[in-house]
Amino acid sequence: MWYRRAVSTSIALPSALARELGAIVGAEGVVSAPAALAVYECDGYTLERAVPQLVVLPRSTAEVAAVVRAAWRAGVPFVPRGAGTGLSGGCLAAPAPLVVCTSRMRSIRAVDLPNRRVITEAGVVNAEVTRVVRPAGLQYVPDPSSQNACTIGGNIAENSGGPHTLKYGVTTNHVLGVEMVLPDGEVVTLGDAIDDGLGYDLTGVVCGAEGTMGIVTAATLRLVSLPEGVTTMLAIFATVAEATATVSAIIAAGIVPAALEMMDRTIVAAVEAAYRFGFPTDAGAVLIIEIDGAAAGLAATAACIEALCRTHGAEDVRRAADEAERAALWKSRKRAFGAVGRLSPSYCTQDGVVPRTRLPEILARIESAGARHRLRIGNVFHAGDGNIHPIVLYDERDVDEAARALAAGREILAACVELGGSVTGEHGIGVEKMQELGLSFGPDDLALMQRVRAVFDPEGRANPGKIFPTPGICVEQRAPRRQAAL
Amino acid sequence: MIPGNVAVDDVATRARYALAGVVPSLVARPGDACELAAVVASVAARGGSLVPLGRGAHRGLGHPPERYDLALVTDRLATIRDYTPADMTVTVDAGVTLADLATLLAREGQWLPIEPPLPAETTVGGLLAADLVGPLAATQGRARDYVIGLAVVTATGTPARAGGRVVKNVAGYDLMKLFIGSLGTLAVLTEATLKVRPMPEEQRCLGFATSGLAAAFAFGAAIGAARLELLAATVVGAVGDEGGEATVVVRLGGTQTDVAVSCARLVELAARYDATLVFDADHATPAAAARLAVIRDFSACADGDLVVRVPALPSRLPSLAADACRVGGTLRGACQGDPLRGVLTLALAAATPEATLAALARIADAHGARLVVERWPIALAPTVEVWRPLPPALPLMRRMKAALDPAGTFATGRFIGRI
Repeated sequence: MWYRRAVSTSIALPSALARELGAIVGAEGVVSAPAALAVYECDGYTLERAVPQLVVLPRSTAEVAAVVRAAWRAGVPFVPRGAGTGLSGGCLAAPAPLVVCTSRMRSIRAVDLPNRRVITEAGVVNAEVTRVVRPAGLQYVPDPSSQNACTIGGNIAENSGGPHTLKYGVTTNHVLGVEMVLPDGEVVTLGDAIDDGLGYDLTGVVCGAEGTMGIVTAATLRLVSLPEGVTTMLAIFATVAEATATVSAIIAAGIVPAALEMMDRTIVAAVEAAYRFGFPTDAGAVLIIEIDGAAAGLAATAACIEALCRTHGAEDVRRAADEAERAALWKSRKRAFGAVGRLSPSYCTQDGVVPRTRLPEILARIESAGARHRLRIGNVFHAGDGNIHPIVLYDERDVDEAARALAAGREILAACVELGGSVTGEHGIGVEKMQELGLSFGPDDLALMQRVRAVFDPEGRANPGKIFPTPGICVEQRAPRRQAAL
Repeated sequence: MIPGNVAVDDVATRARYALAGVVPSLVARPGDACELAAVVASVAARGGSLVPLGRGAHRGLGHPPERYDLALVTDRLATIRDYTPADMTVTVDAGVTLADLATLLAREGQWLPIEPPLPAETTVGGLLAADLVGPLAATQGRARDYVIGLAVVTATGTPARAGGRVVKNVAGYDLMKLFIGSLGTLAVLTEATLKVRPMPEEQRCLGFATSGLAAAFAFGAAIGAARLELLAATVVGAVGDEGGEATVVVRLGGTQTDVAVSCARLVELAARYDATLVFDADHATPAAAARLAVIRDFSACADGDLVVRVPALPSRLPSLAADACRVGGTLRGACQGDPLRGVLTLALAAATPEATLAALARIADAHGARLVVERWPIALAPTVEVWRPLPPALPLMRRMKAALDPAGTFATGRFIGRI
């Protein structure tokens, strides 16, 4: 197993503080046994791990505030955590030794159907929100692949996306306000249910801050109508190039699909082996294209898309016959990462973005990186957004191959930036991409971000050691990380 | 020192950028972001205070600044940096006007669906700094939903960037959100990258007459709940004239098929609400365009010495409008409401504006709404509270201002709570 175990940097958690926190959250809200703590050693990004010294699970905002205040007094930094499904190590318990987990804060405080708002606690699972409001014809749109596990608080920390963000936007576009606990234990309310600016948009700043400004304990979310009609299509191509050209053609035709997803041959084969949806395993690439909106116009739009697919070389274009088939198709897509486990003992999912028109170039660069490093790389991604997810397959028991996998990932991210894109579209910087952040931003840009962070967290107590390379020691940090991988 | 080709100190130019009667000592019109940064550094070095402006069309928004040494006008920053229609993104200098941007995008069948008042006089920087909205906001969102990257100059005269040029990006903090709507109090915007959208294949504008505001808002709420390809719905009525008619102007947009279906549904819905169709035309026809422009420009152009915006929960709007439009008894004016987003805008000729504002504040409070005073008589400048209620996070906002502009170089005193 090759990963970096970051324990030496951790700050000690005094036993008096542990007792104080236990008294706040109750015995059932404390995780302190070594075996139980091991569960919290990483999130979905497993290359770096650190077992926390203590995990607490408060039940309310008041308990979160009390926990954070006690930690503040003791000088101990903390890591906020939701379901731990993050993909960039954002809730790694290092150097902060204390994890504050929101998973017991699962109540939906208010559902306001006439105004299309819902107020949830941070630990409410993403899919639960839509489940509750669906009978009223409404939905909470952001739908990350982990939506059956991930929490609203985690979604806000990461500004999570999902396949349907192409038309509807990401988490930040659907969060009107948050209640949060600042690192000194103060509870603040940012924004509210009224859709109009009032002062600085601090809600928008906290969204995507990866828990480095405090802990969000509740949020006011925007709901939107379920579409009157949905048509989901599967287009099958011999080559990735043809599929990519089709994506551009659809966008150029002025159509904004609800989702526009691509899977290449490697991923299709893995998904088919795992879920037996009926994908043709000899296809070079498939596109999942979903359009929604007024029922009347869908047929014409679908026909237009089908024609574009065929013009650009689609071998077949199928439409989901019913809701069950649509659900099965999406289930396959959203579980694609899991299916990859069948292909290889280890894999590393990358997350980068390029302008939509540069997709062919980045895919060529990914292919050549794979060839150069003698690695298999699969692609499953949000094509409509230009948000790529190359999956680098490797065997973590093979030291050399693991090193090559990391190198290939870094090269791909650098190529994204070179093509005018970004090192992360939805997974976040976390600990994974602290060095890569510098590819997109200069020292002045990062300094400005740090000053904003200090307004919320002047002492660096909320999730330290994430996003920003620590000044002065970034060079040393880089070296052991590479060594560990080797 | 501010170079001579950038600074202007003639009386007429300075008067053009007066804020609440206060005339700046100097006007600077830098030609690019570099010159702009030098101006900021120079003002900051001398402990001066500046207010960033686009073309000054919306400079009446906000409190008068505490000090106003220099108007920093960005209208010469007017270059289109990058426009790749297939990427549906555009990068422009802050001084590009919305009218010019709209013309550029329309050539490719695209648009930025934010339609604030006075597009020919409104710059992209102004749109973002003031977070201007228009009738489309309920269905198309606000500036915060379209900005994917910003270049700014900070209070020390240092250029900085946030975001990027791609539509999905979570690298680093989303500082775009911080600067949008900050009214020039945190940084000067020099460049923005925006998401754009394909323009709807067809747009249609329909007007319905109703018996009065109550009926109009009831119809408006029903429109919001109906399945329509809706771009905007606006209630247009009068203040202090309870018996008068009110009109609901609806804008539909989508494929031809969808618009036709929506149109039929809308007419059917109108019949149930006793609303009479009085107007129906493609939005580009001169008659429709003129009506839509009046609605768009309402807050900037309506008669009256008092213009207020009352954002509320949509469900509170009908009763809020009923109360607000009776304010002051004999008061006369016009009102416009967005039943979908929950915003009422009033333009009033108020004999006793201070008392009228106090009455409106009580009404807003009673409905859990806000009150934003967009235009007021200059005499009220020392006392008017432009935004109320003050948000609970105001102390945090003050800390933000202190952190990013410790010397008070940028428009200090102009924003909420006189930040």
